[in-house]
Amino acid sequence: MKRRKVDVNAVPGKVAGGLDERFQAATPLRSILNKVFPDHWSFLLGEIALFSFIVLILTGTFLTFFYTPSLTTVTYDGSYAPLRGVHMSEAYASSLNLSFDVRGGLIMRQMHHWAALTFVAAIVVHMFRIFFTGAFRKPRETNWIIGLTLFWLGFLNGFTGYSLPDDALSGTGLRIASAIMLSIPVIGSWVTTSIFNGEFPGHVIMSRFYIAHVFLIPLALLALISVHLGLVFKQKHTQWPGPGRTEHNVVGERFVPRYTIKQGGFFMIVFGVIALMGGLFQINPIWLFGPYEAYTVSAASQPDWYVMFLDGSTRLFPAWELRFDLWGWGEGYTVPPIFWPTVVLPGLLTVLPMAYPFIEARLTKDYRSHNLLQRPRDVPARTSLGAMAIAFWLVLTLSGGNDVIADKFHISLNAMTWAGRIGLLLAPPLAYYITYRICLGLQQHDREVLAHGVETGIIRRLPDGRFIEVHQPLAPVDDEGHGHLEYAGWVVPKKMNRLGALAPAIRGFFFPIEKPAEAPVSPGHPPVEPKSKREEITK
Amino acid sequence: MTTDTHGHDVDRDEVDIDDPRLSRFEIVREGARRDGIEIVHYEDPFPIPGTKAERRTVRTVALLFLITGVAATAFMLIYILWPWRYELGANSSKLYTPLLGLTLGIALFGIGFGILSWGKKLMPREIAIQDRHDGPSDRQERKLTGETLAYMVDDLGIKRRKWLGLAALAGLAPVGLVAAAPLIGGLIKDPTKERILFRTGWDPAENGGKLVRLTREDGTPIRPEDVSVGGQMTVFPGIPDGATNEHADSPTLLIHLRTKDAEKTRADAKPINVGAQWGNFVAFSKICTHAGCPASLYEQQTNRLLCPCHQSQFLITDNARPIFGPATRSLPQLPITVDEEGFFVATADYKVAVGPAFWERP
Amino acid sequence: MTSDTPGGLMARLRRRRSQPRGRVRRRLGTVVRLTLALTLAGGVYAVFAPGLSADDTPQLSTAAEEGKALFDQSCISCHGRNAQGVPDRGPSLIGVGAAAVEFQVSTGRMPMARQEAQAPRKPAMFDDDQTRQLAQYIQELGGGPQVPEGGLRAPQGDEETIARGGNLFRINCSSCHAFGGGGGALSSGKYAPSLSEATDKQLYAAMLTGPQNMPVFGDNQLTPDQKKEIISYVQESLKQDRDPGGWGLGRFGPVTEGLAIFLVGIVLLVFTALWIAGKS
Repeated sequence: MKRRKVDVNAVPGKVAGGLDERFQAATPLRSILNKVFPDHWSFLLGEIALFSFIVLILTGTFLTFFYTPSLTTVTYDGSYAPLRGVHMSEAYASSLNLSFDVRGGLIMRQMHHWAALTFVAAIVVHMFRIFFTGAFRKPRETNWIIGLTLFWLGFLNGFTGYSLPDDALSGTGLRIASAIMLSIPVIGSWVTTSIFNGEFPGHVIMSRFYIAHVFLIPLALLALISVHLGLVFKQKHTQWPGPGRTEHNVVGERFVPRYTIKQGGFFMIVFGVIALMGGLFQINPIWLFGPYEAYTVSAASQPDWYVMFLDGSTRLFPAWELRFDLWGWGEGYTVPPIFWPTVVLPGLLTVLPMAYPFIEARLTKDYRSHNLLQRPRDVPARTSLGAMAIAFWLVLTLSGGNDVIADKFHISLNAMTWAGRIGLLLAPPLAYYITYRICLGLQQHDREVLAHGVETGIIRRLPDGRFIEVHQPLAPVDDEGHGHLEYAGWVVPKKMNRLGALAPAIRGFFFPIEKPAEAPVSPGHPPVEPKSKREEITK
Repeated sequence: MTTDTHGHDVDRDEVDIDDPRLSRFEIVREGARRDGIEIVHYEDPFPIPGTKAERRTVRTVALLFLITGVAATAFMLIYILWPWRYELGANSSKLYTPLLGLTLGIALFGIGFGILSWGKKLMPREIAIQDRHDGPSDRQERKLTGETLAYMVDDLGIKRRKWLGLAALAGLAPVGLVAAAPLIGGLIKDPTKERILFRTGWDPAENGGKLVRLTREDGTPIRPEDVSVGGQMTVFPGIPDGATNEHADSPTLLIHLRTKDAEKTRADAKPINVGAQWGNFVAFSKICTHAGCPASLYEQQTNRLLCPCHQSQFLITDNARPIFGPATRSLPQLPITVDEEGFFVATADYKVAVGPAFWERP
Repeated sequence: MTSDTPGGLMARLRRRRSQPRGRVRRRLGTVVRLTLALTLAGGVYAVFAPGLSADDTPQLSTAAEEGKALFDQSCISCHGRNAQGVPDRGPSLIGVGAAAVEFQVSTGRMPMARQEAQAPRKPAMFDDDQTRQLAQYIQELGGGPQVPEGGLRAPQGDEETIARGGNLFRINCSSCHAFGGGGGALSSGKYAPSLSEATDKQLYAAMLTGPQNMPVFGDNQLTPDQKKEIISYVQESLKQDRDPGGWGLGRFGPVTEGLAIFLVGIVLLVFTALWIAGKS
């Protein structure tokens, strides 16, 4: 029988043709491949969160093979000698086993934890970028709200995951969580007993947290991340103002191939950073903490960094408790002090940012759609509000670790608490004021350069003996020597080599790729070509 | 789908893509055009093949990939050959995780920076401009869709048959409740049952009506001479599982005060705490009244008890009153005495609920 | 260092008489020098007022006599003659026992540099022999707890001693000294010190005597064997066992972990993002 000849070169074409016959993919596929994405480093921050989420799923799936979500008491008999013979829950024992008796288990656990910290950190940093550049404005309010929800879901998933090993540190955290639930007026005790199936800690909490941690919350995260990305795709990415960039176009690179290649490379870097941290920096050494017992605790008990601000708010909140009796009905009622900093505050921190795009639109009466970003300095009020929020958060987070700071820097613990209380009131307004002034200063400098030109660093002595600095205007000037350039919402060049005067500019990130040219500047002579129409001014 | 319907400039002649003279790039550019994308700038960084600079860049990228290969192989070798089982002390098993992290990290960095350099340095740079087409949909489209939606309601005829809608609503709402009921009903647990939030393991009812002994974590009872002056001991109810998390609200701190402090404590006792002290010994709940952490950082000279979670400080000699931090309530005092065999017993359960406060707590 | 003050002069005089430990001396501040000067004055006074101390402590062993001489030089200004204490300056040392002296002196906490919330650990002023002599003196004056002779670790071989020590550590010690033994803050500037430099003997003495604000763990509460188990856990597990997961970040827990994720993780990734999107 004669063998049929297969033309190898024609195979891809044939396969593609066959696929298109079935799915009519040619047109939609091409529009995806050709989609244009703008390029700026700050647009990659969200990707860090996305990529660390992928690492979380990969490492987390590995961990589920070995973890047992059970509070049954067992006697540890694993490799870790200092705990051998100790009674502990199966959850804790299995966490120890996957760290010490599973080959490579410890690095997986540590990578999972570092990836979790990276995930939330990247979300927060990404959110700051969105906020300060005004990317949340119409038509992107929905995505802003989804982003905030993603933060709180990440927060919840982080907390449930942190609780799963049932070590003494996480157990302490869980106990505080139960106190927070207890503090909710009217329904608090019902919520707590329902979640713990009775009194704290009960027997079911690990299996409930487990299903929440590995299934319910990740599912919600996955769904919302898909919608989040889908909306970015549909609404197209925002872009910075600049030459050729308008509200009605996107200037950048097509999705495939170069942009995708860069994304793939960046994923590997994120993965690599997490792997390095997972191997080199020990995180959450549960074996030192021992099993959770209601009576063990450690100095410096803290939650992970993204919960620390709530721990700080709890530490700083004064001892104010509401007690009242409802016209003699019952024996009297209590709203404990922990309710305000751990239930009311997070509630406010959820609702206020979610409403912010609408509040800002209302206050500025700006209901138009915006696709061009704003430089933080151009919207001083918003930027200062953001700085205020950061200052507020920073004081709370530092207070969450105030006992460590007190101990290691030899400060009185009580003084740290008071410093936090006062700082919480003083730092945000101060941050607002300072940021506002900085923004105005930067704005003014932009306008000054547009009107007067770039400082050349050349000092000239006039015949009458005065010294002036020569400025290089950015555009033709009028009789008074003033340029008439409109501010375009984008970077104003402020150095001569930004104008190409010292060409070639030094290229390279850390080290110059090309040798800088011999300085063409000689004293008294501006470094511009004499034939240029640009004229220097002396005002 | 072509998106030209939204009216951006389509004046330009369509290129005949079957024209054999077109290069592949020109066809690609035409495809982009039909998607509303204009490639305005396209620049191969190395237009002349084989220049020194190009060769150097290619070598760098190749080197990065080779580093990945070496590091990944090293990872595998370490994974298989390095002693990995935990051993106490400073030994080579402690390098297992760091070495895995290092090799894996280097491998991923190699491939990551390799790909990135390939994309950044070797691939052509371009600037493309795509139209956005945002804002509302076309007026006619909106009207057509809107009418279609409205007609759906018409089709149902709710307006004509109002009672039907009401009936449907009346029928559906309970079904919704039925869906929610098993979840809520299954989870719900009555906190008032057996007053679980108000009782601890010190309740004689837990011990068949007998007074509960104070015991160590291993269950041995405690005599007064077991705790030195200025000492403190975490004690548990002497009942089965008394020292486990079954009784997470029961851990108690037994403190042996100095005589002077003990006298002050007795003199200052609140009515509820009168008689709770035995000799120079006092016993207070170890569970912080603020958030439930074990408040157990006892300072024997100042007689303060610090909670490490939120820094509430309690003054033992004054009914364990909170003197600093967010806690509002004193630590409950356990009334203690010594039984005929000379061991500490609790004469009753705590008189108030232990641990963090809640709504129904007076 | 300004040595032209009278205190400095006195200090230098004293330094010449005792063994040379220049580095230690140099670190002490003016207050110490003043204290030493006063001590010297007290010593001189004691020499010129014979008979005052001779009757009170009739039978002292040779070591205790040596210790008494040291005491009268360095400790008497705060703790008073015959260690009876001086109101508002130093407590009586009658009955504190040799263990308390050995802890306080060998960790350098005594003599104190200045009155503050808590005496910090610092390089010891006396060597082992002198410390033992001082301890012997106080022991013979008023009795009190003593650190037993011989090894202070749990016997080797029993696999679970360290684990038992760990359990006891978590019940009794970790609340103040932290799970990793790094110490922690107490109220108003007081703190539980790190255990990283503590020797077996110091750990034992601290448990036995409850220095400063530390509660006392008498032999009825923690038997000598249990104390040894705790010491074994602290020394062999907490301190000698190298972290299996890489650098321990000082074992400060989530505080340094949070710092690391921003200072290392996010910083690295942001720099990479800058490079990726950069023009070159």
